[in-house]
Amino acid sequence: MITLYLDTTSSFLYTAIIENDSVIAEIKEELGNNLSEYTLPRIEEMFSVKGIQPDDIGKIIVVNGPGSFTGIRIGLTIAKTFAWAKNIPIIPISSLEAMAISIDGDYDYAVPAIDARRGCLYTSIYDVKNNSFIMDEKYVSNDTLNAVLDSMIGKIGFVTNDVLDVKYDVQPYDPKIEKIVSLVKDRDSVNPHSIDANYLKMTEAEEKKMSEKEND
Amino acid sequence: MYILAIESSCDETSCSIVKNGCVDVSTVILSQIDIHTNFGGVVPEIASRHHLKNITMVIEECLKKANFTMDNIDAIAITYGPGLIGSLLVGVEAAKTLAFIYNKPLIPVHHIAGHIYANNLCKKMEYPLIALVVSGGHTELVYMKDEYEFEKLGETLDDAVGESYDKVARVIGVGYPGGPVIDKMAKIGIHEYNLPIPLNDDSYNFSFSGLKSAVINLAHNYDQKGIKLNKENLAKSFQDVVVETITKKTIKALKDKNVNRLIIAGGVAANSGIRENLKKECENNKIECSYPELKYCTDNASMIGAAAYYAYKKGITADSSLNARSSVKLS
Repeated sequence: MITLYLDTTSSFLYTAIIENDSVIAEIKEELGNNLSEYTLPRIEEMFSVKGIQPDDIGKIIVVNGPGSFTGIRIGLTIAKTFAWAKNIPIIPISSLEAMAISIDGDYDYAVPAIDARRGCLYTSIYDVKNNSFIMDEKYVSNDTLNAVLDSMIGKIGFVTNDVLDVKYDVQPYDPKIEKIVSLVKDRDSVNPHSIDANYLKMTEAEEKKMSEKEND
Repeated sequence: MYILAIESSCDETSCSIVKNGCVDVSTVILSQIDIHTNFGGVVPEIASRHHLKNITMVIEECLKKANFTMDNIDAIAITYGPGLIGSLLVGVEAAKTLAFIYNKPLIPVHHIAGHIYANNLCKKMEYPLIALVVSGGHTELVYMKDEYEFEKLGETLDDAVGESYDKVARVIGVGYPGGPVIDKMAKIGIHEYNLPIPLNDDSYNFSFSGLKSAVINLAHNYDQKGIKLNKENLAKSFQDVVVETITKKTIKALKDKNVNRLIIAGGVAANSGIRENLKKECENNKIECSYPELKYCTDNASMIGAAAYYAYKKGITADSSLNARSSVKLS
């Protein structure tokens, strides 16, 4: 079984081909605003170097957010179209979970964090020993997160590619794709038509509309 | 040659299969208009989110409708710009992925070229011609000397004509989208209010923001004085000025270029005031005037599939590094 892994939810492209639980090709590259221009060409290159055809792919694991809205849609559109066209299983995974799984070192809790601007984060708290979230993914203020962390006992480490002002250890995100895939590969797959982004945040227009309604 | 075309530049997710640039084999359009009406206009981020949700369903539905599989398709066409960047990207990534996995040529199409070639789905286009492109996002006069050769003569310097209809509709409180409503109201109104003719010069350019401001000021003045504005009459007065400026510049372009064929394209080509007046003026000047069926006037993928056939004949293709462009020149 050959699996394609794809994550374009940040300014980085993370993609890999996994054959029988081993990564046989991978790309980790900062593309900034050029994700649309380079993502598919990089995947094509990776396929061609390994002599793999699109038909050889049996499963897709795609990171569906949170992160950059546009970035999320680039990877998800590619993965969704691919899985639909080839009629293969597709499994979405959260960027926060991928980040938490990739933490290095002896921590009790991993806190993956993505700067969502205006003093807010996309974040969650992950129990490293049990490979599971103990706090749901949220769009919250730094202060709220800190209040929760202050009440916790155990060693806490942040995983982030953003510059954050926190009092815990912080490490940059370097995805351990093999580990991520091994933990999620047997999850239920989703119909490609219904796979959707995990934005964790409404659009500003919708938020405005909601607050107008509440004030009525 | 069968081309599968995708269009997602604004708030319609559309897929079509077009044969030889002139036969619409099957078309699916998923419009988000009901969603955006709640916000009084298209919200780009919401539009992008819906494109992502719908894209594969729309493609599948289009293939099913034609009773085709991807094996029957010779090339993939895609609107790469201009338009809303987030919306365009969904279509572009989907089209590139299909071209990659099925190893088919990818044909990038300019949205305006698509609007112009919508005419080819109704009647084979002959050259030279002048194309008037009028929509919610565009107001342009294009000279086509020959097949798939575009020379932009002029364009709007500010608002597109459809945009000005929407804004005026908002001011007089008749909802979104404004074009069809104002067109309907103008039919029963009389030209009561004096509005300035915008950019009344020798260029082929248009300007509608001054006209829109004049309407807003007029409405405010009446409001302050406590006089009730006749909405139908205002619609008629506004539409008359729009029709006059568009007709004048279009006829001028036809005469200056010594061309006797006009095609009207874009969503506002559905406007009866503009359509009728141009038709009449063309008859007076022995100019052949044509416009697409209503269903091909608004954004749809069949027009992209039609244009793509001629683009491909000219050798225009793209590889998987094709990017969406929010603003890009036609020629």
